[in-house]
Amino acid sequence: MADLQDELHPPTEVGGLDGLPDPFEAAEAYSPVSDPDSAPLERAHAILAAHPVADGYSGLPWALRHLPWYDLELGESAVDTDVPRMREGHVGALFWSLHLPEGLAGDRAVGATLEQLDLVKTVVQAHPEGLRLTCTAGQTTDARNCGRVAVLLGPAGAAALGDSLGILRSLHALGLRILTLSGATWASEAGLTRFGEEVVREMNRLGVLADLSGASADTIHRAFAVSKSPVLFTRSAARALRPHPANLPDGLLTELGAAKGLCMVPLTAEQTGPSVRDVADHLDHVREIAGPECVGLSGTYDAGTAHPQDLGDASCYPHLIAELLHRGWSEADIALLTWGNVQRVLRSADFTARAAQQRREPSTAKIADLDG
Amino acid sequence: MTGPTSLAEARALLADFPVVDGHNDLPWALRNQVRYDLDARDIAVHQNAHLHTDIPRLREGGVGAQYWSVYVRSDLPDAVPATLEQIDCVRQLLARYPADLAPALTAADMEKARQDGRIASLMGAEGGHSIANSLGTLRGLYDLGVRYMTLTHNDNNDWADSATDEPNVGGLSAFGREVVREMNRLGMLVDLSHVAATTMRAALDATEAPVVFSHSSSRAVCDHPRNIPDDVLERLPGNGGVAMVTFVPKFVLQAAVDWTAAADENMRAHGLHHLETTPEAMKVHRAFEERNPRPVATVSTVADHLDHMREVAGIDHLGIGGDYDGTAFTPDGLSDVSGYPNLIAELLDRGWSRTDLAKLTWQNSVRVLGAAEDVARELQATRGPSNATIEQLDG
Repeated sequence: MADLQDELHPPTEVGGLDGLPDPFEAAEAYSPVSDPDSAPLERAHAILAAHPVADGYSGLPWALRHLPWYDLELGESAVDTDVPRMREGHVGALFWSLHLPEGLAGDRAVGATLEQLDLVKTVVQAHPEGLRLTCTAGQTTDARNCGRVAVLLGPAGAAALGDSLGILRSLHALGLRILTLSGATWASEAGLTRFGEEVVREMNRLGVLADLSGASADTIHRAFAVSKSPVLFTRSAARALRPHPANLPDGLLTELGAAKGLCMVPLTAEQTGPSVRDVADHLDHVREIAGPECVGLSGTYDAGTAHPQDLGDASCYPHLIAELLHRGWSEADIALLTWGNVQRVLRSADFTARAAQQRREPSTAKIADLDG
Repeated sequence: MTGPTSLAEARALLADFPVVDGHNDLPWALRNQVRYDLDARDIAVHQNAHLHTDIPRLREGGVGAQYWSVYVRSDLPDAVPATLEQIDCVRQLLARYPADLAPALTAADMEKARQDGRIASLMGAEGGHSIANSLGTLRGLYDLGVRYMTLTHNDNNDWADSATDEPNVGGLSAFGREVVREMNRLGMLVDLSHVAATTMRAALDATEAPVVFSHSSSRAVCDHPRNIPDDVLERLPGNGGVAMVTFVPKFVLQAAVDWTAAADENMRAHGLHHLETTPEAMKVHRAFEERNPRPVATVSTVADHLDHMREVAGIDHLGIGGDYDGTAFTPDGLSDVSGYPNLIAELLDRGWSRTDLAKLTWQNSVRVLGAAEDVARELQATRGPSNATIEQLDG
C-alpha cells in the first residue's frame, strides 16, 4: 500500500535533492494486519504475508556454481535456500551476491563476474514460477504482487569493475544493482581515492547501490560524504554487542541513521551470536541507535557461515519476527525492517539516478588520470 | 570510371535499400585516439582528419545498418574487460546520437530503423578471445547486444585456428564446436572472417544456423589467407549465409598483398606492431611508402571480387563489410564510409540489376540475422544453456 502511494509522487523526490522536504518523511499511517491477541508466531506469519522479507545477502550463486544438478523449485537439500523454504519463510526479495573467492579477485574478476551474472540469469529462467529478476523498486514490488521472489543482482566486489567506469556501465546494463566498495586499489584501507569517488558518483548516476559491509572506516566516511543516494551495509550488525570487523560501532550507526542508509543485520553466529535472541539484541540495538527506518535483514545463507540456532535456513524468519513481537516491536517497525526500508532505498536509488542523468554525462574518467 | 547517371541511380537505389555494413572499427579508433572522449570526436560533424566514419558521411554513403565492431587486441591478457569497455562505447554513441543511430538487436529492428531513416546499429565481437573460453561470458556479450562473434582475430585462440597463425587445433576443437552450438542457440551469428579455411569448413559442418563473413573477399581473385576459398563460398547456398566483401587493399589486390608484407617487415624492423596506427607508427609507415609507392586498389578491384563471389556463391549470399577505421589504407573511390555509392555505380555499369543490388546491400544481411533468430527460437525449445568447459571437452 505504501508502495503504491509512493509511486505516485516520483518528481517530488527529484526536487527533494534540492533541499525540499523528503516525501518519505510523511509516510502513511500504518494499518495493522495481525490480531494482537493471537500468538506471536501466528502474528509473525500474518505480518510477513503482507510485508515479506527483502533479504540483503545470499551466497547462492557461488554455492550453485559447484553443484552438478539442483532443483530450487521442488526443494534442494544441498543448499539453505530454495523456493519452498523461501515461501515458508516469507522471503519476497533476495540480493544474490556476486562476490568471488580470493583467488578470482584479480585479473579474472571481470570475466568471473560475467559468469556469475549469467548463472543467476540461467537459474532464474529455469525457475519462472518461483523467481523473477528485478532491477528497480517497482519491478520488485511487481514480482511480489505476482507471487514471485524478486532476485536482485549484487553485491559484487569492487574488483568486478576492472578499474573502469565503462565496465561498471556494462555490468549495470546486465542488471548489477549493488557493489561492495572494498577489494580494489581505489577502495582500500586508505579510503576512496579520487577515482573511487568518481565510481560512487557514476554508481549514483546509474542507480547502483553502494554496499559498505567490510569496507574500511575511511572508505565508509568518504562514501557517506560523496553518495547522493542512501548506502547499504548488506552484512553488518552492532559492534557494541559483538566485536566483528564488519559490525558497526555506534558512532557509525548514528551517522547511518542521519544519512538514512540501511544496516542489514546478518543471521550468522559469527557476527550476531548463536541464538535467535542474540540476533534480536542486535536488531534492537541498531533500531535504537540508527532508527527503525535504517535497519534490515540479511540471511547470509549459502555463504559458508554458521547460523544461529533455529535460524538455519531461509524458512526460519517467522521465528525471528515472533521474538521481535515478543519484545514489543510494533507491526509498523517490523514492516519497515522486513520490506519497507529496502524498498525505500531501492526507490531512492532509482530517483537519484534519474535526477543525476539530467545533470551528468556518463563519466569518462580514467583511474590513471585521477589516481596517477 | 562510372558515369554520373550510374552514380545518381546508385544513390537512388541506396535510398531504398541502404547498405548493411558488416564491420566498422570506429569504437577501436575512439579508444585508441581519444580514450573514449566522445566530445573530442563528435561524429555528428565531419571528422575527416581523424576517422573514416562519421554520421554525415554514413548518410552520404547510404549506410542503413552498421555492425560496430567491439574488437579488442588478442595479444593482451585483458580481453574480457576491454570488450566490455568497447560495448560501453557503442552504447554511449547510441545514447548520444539517437536521431541518427538506432539500437538494433534483431532483423525487425533493422527494418524498423530503415523505415525511420535511422542507421540500425548492431554490435559484433571480433575474436573468440573476447569470451576467455567461457560460455557464460559469451551469453553475457549476447545480453549486452553483441549479435555476431568472429571466431578468431589474427591469432589462434585455444579452440579455433586463425588464417594468419600456425595451424593448431586443425579448425575447431570440440569446445570450439560447442561455442558454435551455443551461438546458434543464442541467435548470435557465427562470423568466419579472419579464421583459417579449416576453421571455416569445421564451422560450416557444426553450425545449425547461417553464418556470415563480416569482412572477407575472394581467395581465387586475390590469394591472401584472410580471403574465402571457392569451396567454402560454394557451401553458402546450402548454409544460407552471407559473405560480406571487404575493401582492405592488402586483402583484395595482389600487388598490395606483396607490398604490405614488405611494409610489415619494415614496421617490425623498427620495433613496432604491424597493425599499430599511432602517429609514430604512421610516420614509419609513410617513410616506407615514400621509398616504395603503394599499389592502389580501386572500386573496380572490389567489384572484381564481387563478380567472382557472385558466380560461385550466388547473388543471395553476398554483402558488404568495409572494415573502415580498422585499416590504414582504403581503395580509391572507397576512401571512407561515404564511398559505397561508387561501388554500386560500378556494379550497375557491370550489368548488375536493381534486384541484385538490393540483395547485396540490404536484403541478404537482414535475412541472415532473421534466420539466426529463427534457429535460436527452435533450439531454445529443445536445449538449455551449455555450461561445458574447455577442460571438459578439450582435455
